[in-house]
Amino acid sequence: MSARAEVAVSVGAHGDSLWSKALRKFRRDRVGMWSLAVVLAYAVVALGVVLGLWAGDWADVSGPKWAPVSGEYWFGTNIIGQDIFARSLYSTRTAFEVGLVVALGATALGAVLGSTAGFFSGSWIDEVIIWLMGVLDSVPFILLVAAISYTLQGSPWAMHIAMIATFWIGTARLIRGEVIKLKSLEYVEAAHAIGVSRFMIIFRHILPNTFHILLVQATLSFVAAIKSEVILSFLGLGVKDGMSWGLMISESTFEVLAGFFNNFIAASVLMFGLVMAFNMFSDALQDALDPRTVK
Amino acid sequence: MEVFQYVLRKLLAGIPLVLGVTLISFVLIVYFGPDKTYELLGKNPTADEIAEIRSQLGYDQPFVTRYMDYLREIVTLDFGSSESTDEKVSSILARTVPTSIALAIPGFVLGNLLGVVLALVAAYYRGFWVDKFIMGFAAVGMSISFLIAIIGFQILFSSSDGLDLLPVRGWDMSTPLQYIRYVTVPTLATVFVALGYNTRFYRAVIVEEMTRDHVRTARAFGVPPVQLFYRNILKNSMIPIVTRIMFSIPVIVISGSLLLESYFGIPGVGKVTYDAIVTGDQPILKAVVVLTAVLFVIAQLLADICYRVVDPRVSLK
Repeated sequence: MSARAEVAVSVGAHGDSLWSKALRKFRRDRVGMWSLAVVLAYAVVALGVVLGLWAGDWADVSGPKWAPVSGEYWFGTNIIGQDIFARSLYSTRTAFEVGLVVALGATALGAVLGSTAGFFSGSWIDEVIIWLMGVLDSVPFILLVAAISYTLQGSPWAMHIAMIATFWIGTARLIRGEVIKLKSLEYVEAAHAIGVSRFMIIFRHILPNTFHILLVQATLSFVAAIKSEVILSFLGLGVKDGMSWGLMISESTFEVLAGFFNNFIAASVLMFGLVMAFNMFSDALQDALDPRTVK
Repeated sequence: MEVFQYVLRKLLAGIPLVLGVTLISFVLIVYFGPDKTYELLGKNPTADEIAEIRSQLGYDQPFVTRYMDYLREIVTLDFGSSESTDEKVSSILARTVPTSIALAIPGFVLGNLLGVVLALVAAYYRGFWVDKFIMGFAAVGMSISFLIAIIGFQILFSSSDGLDLLPVRGWDMSTPLQYIRYVTVPTLATVFVALGYNTRFYRAVIVEEMTRDHVRTARAFGVPPVQLFYRNILKNSMIPIVTRIMFSIPVIVISGSLLLESYFGIPGVGKVTYDAIVTGDQPILKAVVVLTAVLFVIAQLLADICYRVVDPRVSLK
């Protein structure tokens, strides 16, 4: 007993927890660090828009129609003479807003329902949650967005809510499995024995130990949200007020046929950059948090 | 007999799922859905006229009664007629489902087949530049939006700024040549994007199998690589592969091509569904939602039976 405690202390002294090890691994991952830098650069752009530092004039009709790239209009102007550069920056803000809201919402919901199902696995609570996952999985996504949009009478949050309502399922399935594994461990049994309430056991003792899964799932939801936003906005079910990459691409489909590509290229390249960087960041994070990989 | 019993039990187990889907679709599309009263009334209606229309539409009934009516229509497969064209929903589906399948099949087959092949190559050369090149390509496919891929391939093949070889949009299946002309651009976009996800997924599955002890032993005994891949690795990876393929089928048949079909103006189920969303055509939406759920139950069943076929140890109990 005392020997084991000693080992635990010495491991702790070297700071060799999952997190410190992951941080060390991540720092050594050059691709991971670069992709994180790119994501942070986008985040700064988005934050600047929120603070009103730039792109406040995204809706102004200031220039001539389809102006080429110039010192004044860095990416040119669109069909009615709006500055594409300002619109691209503003869309970055929209992408972060959608991504963060959906990632946080879906991950939190997945964590709560997944851990509850896992803790009560085999009971009716578990059955109900599994049933709910199956049902939501079987409703076509775009129809769900449209239906929620009806119900909320065209609220701009319909898209976010629909994404949260479907994206939590993947997270919940993983967390459920992990919690089933964790709940039979000794420390949970010990918590039971000293009379910790079930609520506290789930959310204070078990759930924090699945945080590495939640972190990776949140990054995946972020990417999925940005990609869905583009398609939903194009179909007229997404962003209602404001500007987004999806709306820019939607605008550009007419322009592309007339041989004017600025809008399309600006939105596509910016979106591709963010999604690619986020995907690689997510990969690096997964590698760093995976105890099986040694680096 | 064993299989028959199994199928029956599985279908029964699928009932709560389908019921859940009908409940959600009823609540969201019908109960809280658009109010049709004023579309059916003339100008300046009296209170009596409004009440009459509302009772015709069933709006004055309690929730449970309306839901039971909705369920009865579904169980008797009586989906009614489209509210905008008056065509029967069943005949609309009969007309459009084949188009959607013809549109989706080439992209689906190529996306999965090439995905498995690329994944095998990448896994075989794991860590070498071939692997890195393939996975880099997959990362690009994963990161590009489907919409951007569609527009990109359209510019490349169909516009005067590109090769200008294929039609810009539309659909024609009258001759095989016409079919190929119209299906190429949507297929290329689908395959490009699907390959990203498929290759990564299949590579992970194959690598997992490759690192198992029995594979190492077989290799040590000098089993030739082709046989090793086919018999010891691919065969054992079939369960996750089958799962992935089976569960994509419902999405493809009913709604997966919604973006493709509305973008290219192809008269398939996706286009019909999109138009129904825009105009609030409830009978069509109802049919699409319920049929998707039923197809999911069937896909689950087929997947289970396929597990039995690819792995005799799986029992259908």
